Amino acid sequence: MANGGQRGGQRSGWPERVGPEGGRPARAGLSEAILTFLERGVSLVVSSSDGANRPRVGRALAVQVPADGAWIGVCLDRTANAALLAAVAETGRFALAATEPSTHLSIQLIGDDATVTAADAEAAALAARHVDAFAAELALIGYGDAFTRALMAHDPATLAMVRFCPSRLYDQTPGPKAGTAVPP
Amino acid sequence: MSAAIGASLTLDAIRACLEGAVPATIATCAPDGTPNVSLLSQVHYVDPDHVALSYQFFNKTRANILANPIAVLQLIDPPTAAQYRMELCYLRTETTGPLFESMKAKLAGIASHVGMQDVFRLLGADLYRVTAIEAVPGGAPLPAPVAQRSLLSATRRACEALRGCADLTELLDHSLCVLQRLFGVDHALILMPDEATGRLFTVAALGYDSSGVGSEVAPGEGVIGVAARERVPIRITHMTSDVAYSLTARDGAEDAGLTGGPAREIPFPGLERPHSQLAVPILAGRRLAGVLFVESRQEMRFTYDDEDALATLAAQLGALMQALPPAEEVAPVPAACPEAGGAPAVVRHYAADDSVFVDHDYLIKGVAGAILWKLVRDHTTLGRTDFTNRELRLAPDIPLPDFAENLEARLILLQRRLEERCGVLRIEKTGRGRFRLVVMKPILLQETA
Repeated sequence: MANGGQRGGQRSGWPERVGPEGGRPARAGLSEAILTFLERGVSLVVSSSDGANRPRVGRALAVQVPADGAWIGVCLDRTANAALLAAVAETGRFALAATEPSTHLSIQLIGDDATVTAADAEAAALAARHVDAFAAELALIGYGDAFTRALMAHDPATLAMVRFCPSRLYDQTPGPKAGTAVPP
Repeated sequence: MSAAIGASLTLDAIRACLEGAVPATIATCAPDGTPNVSLLSQVHYVDPDHVALSYQFFNKTRANILANPIAVLQLIDPPTAAQYRMELCYLRTETTGPLFESMKAKLAGIASHVGMQDVFRLLGADLYRVTAIEAVPGGAPLPAPVAQRSLLSATRRACEALRGCADLTELLDHSLCVLQRLFGVDHALILMPDEATGRLFTVAALGYDSSGVGSEVAPGEGVIGVAARERVPIRITHMTSDVAYSLTARDGAEDAGLTGGPAREIPFPGLERPHSQLAVPILAGRRLAGVLFVESRQEMRFTYDDEDALATLAAQLGALMQALPPAEEVAPVPAACPEAGGAPAVVRHYAADDSVFVDHDYLIKGVAGAILWKLVRDHTTLGRTDFTNRELRLAPDIPLPDFAENLEARLILLQRRLEERCGVLRIEKTGRGRFRLVVMKPILLQETA
């Protein structure tokens, strides 16, 4: 269980301006710094809203960023997130918040073109890798491996992928900059 | 989201998710449907149909719920990692009062726990009605831990144990005894208010190196003072670095309007680094009769269920205190006072605050100080050793409020301070409503303005 420890120091928020890094082309319109962050052992929580403007909430298992894609994929368990996936299918609205528990660094990506697709062959391995990374991250602040794996437990056979192009990014790191727009 | 409150899954059934040990997730949406999702540090249980969320920053979540009151939470049960979704409807925001203060104290603990003590600050308690709860399908929760004790059974037995108490001394002593024996509490205090100043003074203690009997807490100070002022249980589940809730860190410089002179503070006995604290007001009817305080070096030691159990015990204690008859004398007891001998001890009284020092050591002040000064004066001028509660209640120079336990509490305080700190004087009970001042060596009285 959490012991209150934390990996201190990194609470600087997101850079004001992020350009192309290392000559690599931006994927899904996002900077390498943000993409790298999404692929770390971060907490991934998601939301949508249905046609009646009722919010839906869920927990994601991994983020997929294709090398050549204009979109990012968010891997979810269908069984656990049926209402959320139905809302995404209905309205295309989607929000993903990624938070690094040990530093509180957090960013939210919002899009309104989301689609629900079948998970590809790589999704199960991707989710398994993310669970490993998330368990290592939560261990830094005192959560046991069994807790994290129970939290992230899912059936690899029932995965779905939500694909979307983030059109708005917000800094969600707690503090005075929370809620400010982040350049992609 | 189909399970209605009361149908299959109730808020009470998932209360462990609301302890603040693991952050929750909140989703809202703007009037145009744009969703928003973020983590939430505090979801507070209010009653079986309501929760309150901490409002710390004016952010998108807040803008959304003011425009579209529906929110959905995803909660995690800390021991098992089971997840639940809860649909809410925003009602209003409270910025003062019991709900706000209990959330503020708890948030101070959570903030220190996650290293956010400089960032988290409660601006308001957002009250929501819970409209639906469901377990998140799938998953593989861990087995629930086995409970150490039945709090309901402990509460029943504790209430039964208090029922036969004849006076306030017994009530206080039995209360601490049942806390230790039935609730496994290692550190506890009972404080009672001084109606004139509003300050609370310790009358009974459990588990500290120094009992701290007579130590004082101002209204609004620390978890005890806030519980007394707001008349609501105040509970902190993680060690807080917020000085507002630290009682042992006080510098003790307050001296009730006095400047200069020797220190008149009895050190507060609390743990230096408490990880869990709970202060429960003891109400006798509408009147604050005291505060029951427990603490522990263990995180998350006191849960919502512990809070409910101790609030019930405190309610019983308050009712029994209110029902205590004035301890009037029933049977005189022959005097058997030891002969005093040796060099005299100087008993000095400061009229400004009724503080009493024995050989330069601070002993007591306030009403208890005024009582002691009357006793030693009557002893030296009239040779008296035996006294009654009734004469103290009627004495014009002892400013006592109306309630019976006020005098009792002061006598208990005085008796315990003398036992702990003074080898010269002692108070012994000699019968119902009667006691004796035992003077073990000659005393010399000095009055200072």
